[in-house]
Amino acid sequence: MIEFKNVSFSYARTDEASVKDISLKINKGETVLLCGESGCGKTTLIRMINGLIPHFYEGQMRGNIYVDGTDITQTQLYETAKIVGSVFQNPRSQFFCVDSTSELAFGPENMGLPEDEIRARIDSTVDSMKIRALMDRSIFEMSGGEKQKIACASVDTLNPQVCVLDEPSSNLSLEAIEDLKNTLLGWKEEGRTIVVAEHRLYWLKDICDRVICLKEGRIIFDIPMREFKNLSEEDLRCHGLRAVNENLTMIPVKTESINTETITFEKLIYNYRNCDALNIKNLEIPRNEIIAVVGPNGAGKSTFSKCICGLMRGFKGNAVIGGKKLKGRNLLKSAYMVMQDVNHQLFCETVMDEVTLGMNEENEDRVLEILDKLGLKELSNRHPMSLSGGQKQRVAVASALLSDKDIILFDEPTSGLDFYNMERVAELIWSLRGQKTVFVVTHDPDLVRRCATVVLRLENGHVVNTNSGGEMKDYEREKEKCYCTAV
Amino acid sequence: MDGVMTQRKTNEKLGGKDLINIGIYAAIFLVIMTAISMLGFIPIMMPMLSVLCPLIGGITMMLFYTKVKKFGMITIMTIIIGAFLWVTGMGYYPFFFGIVCGLVADLVAKSGQYSSKKKTVLSYGIMCITIFGCFLPLYLDINGYFSTRTSFGSDYVEAMTRIFRPWTAPIILACSFVFGVLGALLGMHFLKKHFEKAGIV
Amino acid sequence: MEGAAYNPGKLDRGLIMDPRTKLALLVTVTTFALGGAGGRRCEMLVPILCMVPFLLLLTAKRFKTSIIGMILLWGSSMLLTFANTRGMGGFLYYIILGSCGVLGRFLPCIMMGRYLMESTTVSEFTAAMKKLHVSDNIIIPLSVMFRFFPTVLDEADSISSAMKMRGIRIGGKHASKIIEYRMVPLMTCCVNIGEELSAAALTRGLGGEVKRTNICRIGFRLQDYAALALCLIPWILLIMDVVK
Repeated sequence: MIEFKNVSFSYARTDEASVKDISLKINKGETVLLCGESGCGKTTLIRMINGLIPHFYEGQMRGNIYVDGTDITQTQLYETAKIVGSVFQNPRSQFFCVDSTSELAFGPENMGLPEDEIRARIDSTVDSMKIRALMDRSIFEMSGGEKQKIACASVDTLNPQVCVLDEPSSNLSLEAIEDLKNTLLGWKEEGRTIVVAEHRLYWLKDICDRVICLKEGRIIFDIPMREFKNLSEEDLRCHGLRAVNENLTMIPVKTESINTETITFEKLIYNYRNCDALNIKNLEIPRNEIIAVVGPNGAGKSTFSKCICGLMRGFKGNAVIGGKKLKGRNLLKSAYMVMQDVNHQLFCETVMDEVTLGMNEENEDRVLEILDKLGLKELSNRHPMSLSGGQKQRVAVASALLSDKDIILFDEPTSGLDFYNMERVAELIWSLRGQKTVFVVTHDPDLVRRCATVVLRLENGHVVNTNSGGEMKDYEREKEKCYCTAV
Repeated sequence: MDGVMTQRKTNEKLGGKDLINIGIYAAIFLVIMTAISMLGFIPIMMPMLSVLCPLIGGITMMLFYTKVKKFGMITIMTIIIGAFLWVTGMGYYPFFFGIVCGLVADLVAKSGQYSSKKKTVLSYGIMCITIFGCFLPLYLDINGYFSTRTSFGSDYVEAMTRIFRPWTAPIILACSFVFGVLGALLGMHFLKKHFEKAGIV
Repeated sequence: MEGAAYNPGKLDRGLIMDPRTKLALLVTVTTFALGGAGGRRCEMLVPILCMVPFLLLLTAKRFKTSIIGMILLWGSSMLLTFANTRGMGGFLYYIILGSCGVLGRFLPCIMMGRYLMESTTVSEFTAAMKKLHVSDNIIIPLSVMFRFFPTVLDEADSISSAMKMRGIRIGGKHASKIIEYRMVPLMTCCVNIGEELSAAALTRGLGGEVKRTNICRIGFRLQDYAALALCLIPWILLIMDVVK
């Protein structure tokens, strides 16, 4: 069904080839997992199957790719679209219309199909994917998991024989991944050929038949899933892969607590339209520890983080840190959020300017010390935007450390990262322990088990339980009705 | 078999990617413009729009110009901006101005193969004249308009015509052009300073 | 028919009008209320036309917008009358005159525009454009633009949060660079998202040679004919004027 013949490709403006001389055959109805560390070329392979390379991303290309007998390199994208459907990583950026029904109709509309045919196709997709409740709604008001479902559904209406997915689970919660899994199983039953590039492997172990692992643009192994499942953790590690039998429990690291001081948040209550409500009367957490905030989509995690950082307008609560009561603007001064898209918080021309921007007084020694500690010393004259994702994240952390914040909050720091990078983020967060109180909002159990000392589980705006150092504490859900719109 | 890619020819039909790019940059430009117009809500600040919009919009538009390789993209851009201004209640003059200015700006940029810096700056300056269309109804037929409001008294009509004296019109027009040119230079400065390093050009 | 259950235009929006009618109303209001065409003959009609957008906003259940608009319009004309009867002079008078004059002229158009934007879904709008035989070269960028507005606002919001956390404020010590700090991350983020959006749209066949279909159903109803009839009156008067 899919055939690569001696394919090499390097992106414009780079010297190194991202894919080197790959030959590969994928049969009809096969479900293939592409894995490997970041930058190994799996996304490039996906882009070749759906024709984005060479028709959208420019660069140097050699070789030919055939899908169902047609040469993709010589076919226009809108022709390829009829045989290959694609789902991408970021649910926020892959829908074209504002409401879900138009979105499902978008593909067939581009094909110029008659109106009745389009309606029939939408109907059958809606039935097979059970998404009737999502129809005729604004996509902007949906959760990440729902958006990804719409993305899959809009591929389904085109009825392609081949489906490719590029890290579809990166921004999803565990619950949403389960839904995605069911969608894929449905497609598999229909006999479609599916190619998935992924970092998180556990959810694919019952779906994929074949695993192809890449490294530096070459295939290093190509084995059936049966064999892949038997690989030891160490084998996986050396290829930069995450575990296949991923442990999904969110258990914190077992350590002695370093101090007895606590931070208390009072009246973490917030109700408003279009957003998850938060209803925590009193929350006491140990100071200078690493607190993982987990829970399903719509549990109030984003509201929680915004409130803690003092970014929520009209938030009435306060925090007591070291006997001082902080409210509103003072809370804003003492907390810092490392955002999921770090590009939002890089303003300056050089890394040096960037980290010293929020400082009250110039203190060169301290700046150099912290830059050195975070491995940014050599980069201090680079433009922050030109760094890699991990480096950008560290620049943001450096600026938080230098502006004397008490609380640092990470928003989904490991979404879309491979094993190595995830481990590095975990090390970075762990190194902050004892100096700062760190909150980590995450869906990633691997990260939680590696660096969190306290796990806080939110549901419907309430803390359901906390787990610190293996000590589990269940909270009686407050009896009063919680106002909750988005679940 | 040499699989070496070449860039598409310049005189080809507009593709999906180009059309999407127009939409994206139009959205960014208009959001910025609307944010600035909030200042213009104090109506006496309105003439300031002809200064600030071209200046700050230059940053967006210079990035857009780096994506322009085919004839028609700038024209469509100004038509959309004009249509948006019309729909948000600035009258239909910006729309017609948009068509004319856009065409001229497009031709100017085309004469420099969409890569000449001087032509780009000039082209953006011309494009910014679209904004003058918003002010035009205030000058056109001013006596006719206010004569229907005789209930307010002749003093009022006189004062009104004094504020919108015809000679201020060319000033606003010139402002939008000059600050368009300055905005383009500012945008180019930003391109070099930030966006090229960020790898989004 | 089962498929008819899904209509992108189906949301609780009160009185539904065809987008083409709304456009016709917009043209009429801008021509006669803002442009002042028609002169004395239409004098009586202008106030009626000015009220149309506010009434329409009411039918679309946008009570707040409508009432605020009405208060502004009424307030500005009251202020004008007040300033005139008092025989005020000097600088303040000019400011009041200028402000109220501009507000009074632009407000009905702005309200009409708001009505059009708030009561029309993007699919309805594109369907209407299609029926008006507008080229896809315009329709596609327009629909991308509408889809992208919330994204730009979202990004801008995140950036201003980030700026707050860093203590960058207007009036702070970094005031001179405030535009740079805002624009650079905004542009970078929007362009990156835009890139992903184009990739996704192209893999779903945008930009083909075939004529695109549109499944959104629009059509004229009784209220459309009534509104169109209202639009026609000033135009007929204008034409009569010209013919004479």
